[in-house]
Amino acid sequence: MKPAGQNAMDSVDEMQDENDAVSLCSMFAGSESFGIDTRKIREVLGKRDLQRVPMAPPFIGGVVPYRGEVLTAVDLRALLGMPENSATSCVLVLEDDEVAERFGLMVDEVGGVVTANRNMLETNPCTLEARGKWLFDGAYKMQTGLMVQLDPKKLRPSRLAETGLFRQGGTGQAGTGAMDASTDSR
Amino acid sequence: MDDLTKEFIAESQEGLDRMERCLTELEMRPDDGELVGDIFRSVHTIKGTTGFLGFNRLEKLAHTGEHLLGSLRDGKLAVTSELISGLLSLLDGLRGIITLIEETGGEGTRADDEDSELIAELTALNGTSAPAEAVHHEAETVEMHPGAATHEGPTVSASAMGNGDKTLRIDVDVLNRMMNLVGELVLTRNQMLQSNMDAANFPELARRLDSVTADLRETVMQARMQPVGNLFGKFPRLVRDLARTCGRDVRIEFSGQETGLDKSLLEAIKDPLTHAVRNAVDHGIEAPHIRVLAGKSAEGCVKLRAFHQSGSVVIEVADDGAGIGIERVLAKAVEHNLVTPEQAAAMSEREALQLIFLPGFSTAAAVTNVSGRGVGMDVVRANVEKVGGSVEVESKMGQGTTLRLRVPLTLAIVPALVVRSGGQSFALPQTALVELVYVPQREAQSAVEKIGAAELYRLRERLLPMVWLDRLLGLDSQWTDAAHGFYLAVLEAEGCRYGLVVDDLLAPEEIVVKPLSSVLREIGLFSGATVLGNGTLALILDIAATAARAGVKPMEEETGEIEIAKADDAEDVSFMVFEERVKERTALPLDVVERIESVLLTQIEYAGGRALLQYRGDLLPLRDDGNVLAEMEAGGQKDEEALVTVLICANAGAGGRHRIGMVVRRVLDVSSGRMLEEDTSTEGMELALVKEKLTMVHHQFGAKAAAGWKEVA
Repeated sequence: MKPAGQNAMDSVDEMQDENDAVSLCSMFAGSESFGIDTRKIREVLGKRDLQRVPMAPPFIGGVVPYRGEVLTAVDLRALLGMPENSATSCVLVLEDDEVAERFGLMVDEVGGVVTANRNMLETNPCTLEARGKWLFDGAYKMQTGLMVQLDPKKLRPSRLAETGLFRQGGTGQAGTGAMDASTDSR
Repeated sequence: MDDLTKEFIAESQEGLDRMERCLTELEMRPDDGELVGDIFRSVHTIKGTTGFLGFNRLEKLAHTGEHLLGSLRDGKLAVTSELISGLLSLLDGLRGIITLIEETGGEGTRADDEDSELIAELTALNGTSAPAEAVHHEAETVEMHPGAATHEGPTVSASAMGNGDKTLRIDVDVLNRMMNLVGELVLTRNQMLQSNMDAANFPELARRLDSVTADLRETVMQARMQPVGNLFGKFPRLVRDLARTCGRDVRIEFSGQETGLDKSLLEAIKDPLTHAVRNAVDHGIEAPHIRVLAGKSAEGCVKLRAFHQSGSVVIEVADDGAGIGIERVLAKAVEHNLVTPEQAAAMSEREALQLIFLPGFSTAAAVTNVSGRGVGMDVVRANVEKVGGSVEVESKMGQGTTLRLRVPLTLAIVPALVVRSGGQSFALPQTALVELVYVPQREAQSAVEKIGAAELYRLRERLLPMVWLDRLLGLDSQWTDAAHGFYLAVLEAEGCRYGLVVDDLLAPEEIVVKPLSSVLREIGLFSGATVLGNGTLALILDIAATAARAGVKPMEEETGEIEIAKADDAEDVSFMVFEERVKERTALPLDVVERIESVLLTQIEYAGGRALLQYRGDLLPLRDDGNVLAEMEAGGQKDEEALVTVLICANAGAGGRHRIGMVVRRVLDVSSGRMLEEDTSTEGMELALVKEKLTMVHHQFGAKAAAGWKEVA
């Protein structure tokens, strides 16, 4: 099974850290589960009420105060085109070290720390739609099912804003747009 | 670079700055020996230290300079324009080397030739052997020098700014006080941690925390405050050089140098201000012969004035030059396709003046190397607005132009009003807030008037465009006609005045501005966010951007009216109307009255037959024209609780320092009225019509108060 689904380039990569166990923080949005490398998470803030920002792109869930800063939080559900969560979301603080941009990520629930082996990571399937390709970083084959890996680098609000994919009125975004209108009314 | 060198650089730069100021002053007062001494010391210090640190090139130059200054100090040389120019080039030379040391750590040798030229020049200035040759040489330098100086100007200032950004000199006392307060903060925290919410002393602890925080904040701000004079210091030189290049005769005057401004703001307005001064000299002031023809003195004057005004600092650059020709502005604007000829024709004077802030606008007849390249006022305005300030321009043809930069005292903490709209909180900066209007539910329908789809509110017979915040932001409106009324926050920014409709007003708060991420900045409507007292976040609304988004245009007739009102102060004036003598309406101009206080009769004390009140640590003389006090003392002496209404009035004539209390029976109303002619029979009093009722105003109120006091009897 191991070498089967991997192309040549990946296998070289895999070979190098064959024994590397990765600790991931699991989180949930809708029915899907996601994982982010714990080293890339600065803090889990827990359930927070966010201050919405009118006129902001739909994927921005709001702003949250964090250690004297005002963090912009990305709403994972909105990114995935899921309907608004009625319950209060959990907020994680992520940081992209390269550009020193700190931001929040809104998810439904934060699970716990799980350890996964790097060689259980599968690359994105080629049938994945464009938005998924933009966001996901492959998936771990866990016993309970697949856990999609997210990379804070890819979730950076300014990066998301650069692409038209998640903007209101972007291609195939009619659903998200409508959802956003209802979002604002809440 | 070792600490010693760093210190030397900082010290030398300060010394050179001082020298620059002294030199330009020296030109005006050539006989001032102290100035020469000062300059000499600056150069001498540099020379002494460089020798010690081993910067030979610098030492050689400083030595030559010192020698020349020595002759000057001993009276062997007279102060001439050439000499000053020579000394200024010495200054530039020294500064150049010091900048080089700062950047590279070494003084370099590649520009050695320049030095020897400069040294030769300085020696020539000093030498008595060949006066004719010296003069010739000097004349040459004079011509060459200003160009060189303007070239050097930007680099020097840029590097100086880089340095200034990093270090700041703070009074040790201030630092000690800060440390003290931090200690106090720690102690309070310890106590708070040990006690719990229910503890009896908790409110007291919270209060202490409050006062310590306020003190600490004030001290930190104080440490960051720098006198504007630091910034002004470089202008005499700039003006001098510019005046020479442009063939003008210009004097520069300052006032309010001691006005404090936050360091970061000082840096931010440095370039806009420099630009404004350049403009004033190059475009504003005319050539001497034209000035004489126009009946003005040949020497033009640029005045730099800094002062506090309603929570912000205003820096004025005023020249007494030609002023801005509206026709020329319009012609230029049409030429550059900034406006259409039809638009231009319809423009008022004020609107036309605003055109100079458009990108790519310059009216200079000739493009000089100083200004007039089209990089202009738009940059000035953009830079000032970046830090939350504003720019205004006023111009009178033939009399000069005044450019006013208005900047907040500090960037970090802004007084704001928190409002709610569509279920969210927003902060409106107080600086933009003109007034608040509550429209009760029963009037809500009739108050809104419509022209097409545009909604307007009639505020004191002026139509005010209404902007519904919730609609603008696409929020779900929580306000329904039936529920309750709404609030109208009258805002003004960039000449736009409009009424922002919000659902509710919360408390005014001093907010700490936090920047937003770039994605949210792009929305363009919010200038930041802040954490409110209750721990929630509120977005800070950008008043000018909101106006632009809502399509509110600057209203020229509005400001026109204000100007008319100013020019014609016999017109409507706001009065506070009260009863002083029984059945007589008395009034004071509203701006004179600071507060209305109710004080216990027992608090009023008497000395030498005069009634006095202790008010905020001052002794306030009370004026009691209606004999209210006497009546009360006589009548209700038993009543310990008797209250007296006292109007605390600032004596505007004496700069608001002298306060006085007016004892009145009761306050009736605040309304605007019209001054009637002065009635000579009622010495120092004027008649006014307030709400169609005859009211009288005291015109004079003691010798000092002449301007400020108008009281109605």
